[in-house]
Amino acid sequence: MANSASLPALSSSPNDLRKKKRANRSAKLKQCKLDARRDQWLSQVKNKGSNGESSPPIPSTRPIGPRKLDPARDNAAAAESLLGLQDSETEFAAGRRIARKDDRPCSSSISSGCFSGSATEDDEEEDGDSTALDDWEAVADALIADHHHLEEPKPSITAPVPTPAPPSVTPKPPEPRAWRPDDAFRPSSLPNLSKQRSFDVSRGFRNGGRTVVSVSVPSSCPICYEDLDVTDTSFLPCSCGFRLCLFCHKRILEADGRCPGCRKPYGMILDGSPPVFLLSRSCSMNIR
Amino acid sequence: MQASRARLFKEYKEVQREKSADPDIQLVCDDSNIFKWTALIKGPTETPYEGGVFQLAFVIPEQYPLSPPQVRFLTKIFHPNVHFKTGEICLDILKNAWSPAWTLQSVCRAIIALMAHPEPDSPLNCDSGNLLRSGDVRGFRSMARMYTRLAAMPKKG
Repeated sequence: MANSASLPALSSSPNDLRKKKRANRSAKLKQCKLDARRDQWLSQVKNKGSNGESSPPIPSTRPIGPRKLDPARDNAAAAESLLGLQDSETEFAAGRRIARKDDRPCSSSISSGCFSGSATEDDEEEDGDSTALDDWEAVADALIADHHHLEEPKPSITAPVPTPAPPSVTPKPPEPRAWRPDDAFRPSSLPNLSKQRSFDVSRGFRNGGRTVVSVSVPSSCPICYEDLDVTDTSFLPCSCGFRLCLFCHKRILEADGRCPGCRKPYGMILDGSPPVFLLSRSCSMNIR
Repeated sequence: MQASRARLFKEYKEVQREKSADPDIQLVCDDSNIFKWTALIKGPTETPYEGGVFQLAFVIPEQYPLSPPQVRFLTKIFHPNVHFKTGEICLDILKNAWSPAWTLQSVCRAIIALMAHPEPDSPLNCDSGNLLRSGDVRGFRSMARMYTRLAAMPKKG
């Protein structure tokens, strides 16, 4: 926690220089977003801490919805199909999404089937790609890259041997899986395994899982339809597994505070243990 | 305000893109106001509403998607959970069970599901509800069919 709080102050690595350069473009907006993120992140970590270390029941990707229809799954399917169509048909996509697609090598590495934890890191090391990259996203990514520099990453979940890799070295071998999450032909009813796995990692220690998440869960927020960035994809506010961006989460906390996926109040754990502090705390913290 | 507009705009684009995805639903946004939509839904098969086309009016609040859209039938329909005069719909997802993850499209789908599976125990149309609750399915079906023919089907010359 202290680490992340002091992160923006660090300015030794070249990454940070770049970060600063980018930050100057629209510092205000970024800072606002970053602050919100850090707050959310901190409260999330705190929340996790108070949950104890025992693993919670594995959340099902399919939320307990009422009636026959399942909005979360619908949206996930829509998002997936949207992503699948992206290559051929970009006119409908928001400009930001197009920019991402074109400028981020990690996207192409997805379609080539390379699921390396260091793909995004490499992405960050290259300076040339930053022309149209969204600024605050770049900052967030850089932050995470720094995070990796600070705490030696212990990335692998599947492989028992910890990959020693400092960020920009050899990519991990692609994980074996039947369907890639971004595969256009993947049945939308399949649960997204990579999400679950990355959840397990990131809740234990929040560094290793992040880049893996950012590579393997390209998706958009089902509430506002904006792209989920790295922080968002590692953000799992509810044990039902429903993901959304931090902005929407904050707005929901200020409204009725229920998870859109399962309609349980945020901070309520599946096994019925009493609600934790997350809700009230975030509400009080995020007054603009 | 801004968030709801952005989201509706994205839903609009989604609808434009997937026009043929769900042939039973046709969502149209008002030309000048993105907070007003109308939808045309086809009555589900094997119900008295089959063959009918029903018009829905959406009014979307500024808090959308955190609060649900207001939806009502513009086309007369004889259904236990739809008010016969106002077209108001009694559906949990349009009230307390709303989730921001729902879209206008999924609301339409939910309404089609409601047409196929009425819940006579929370009626807005008491006549219709009473017919079903008393077990007079035939009576209900013929009434619903009649109003479908009268209101929801193109007039034949």
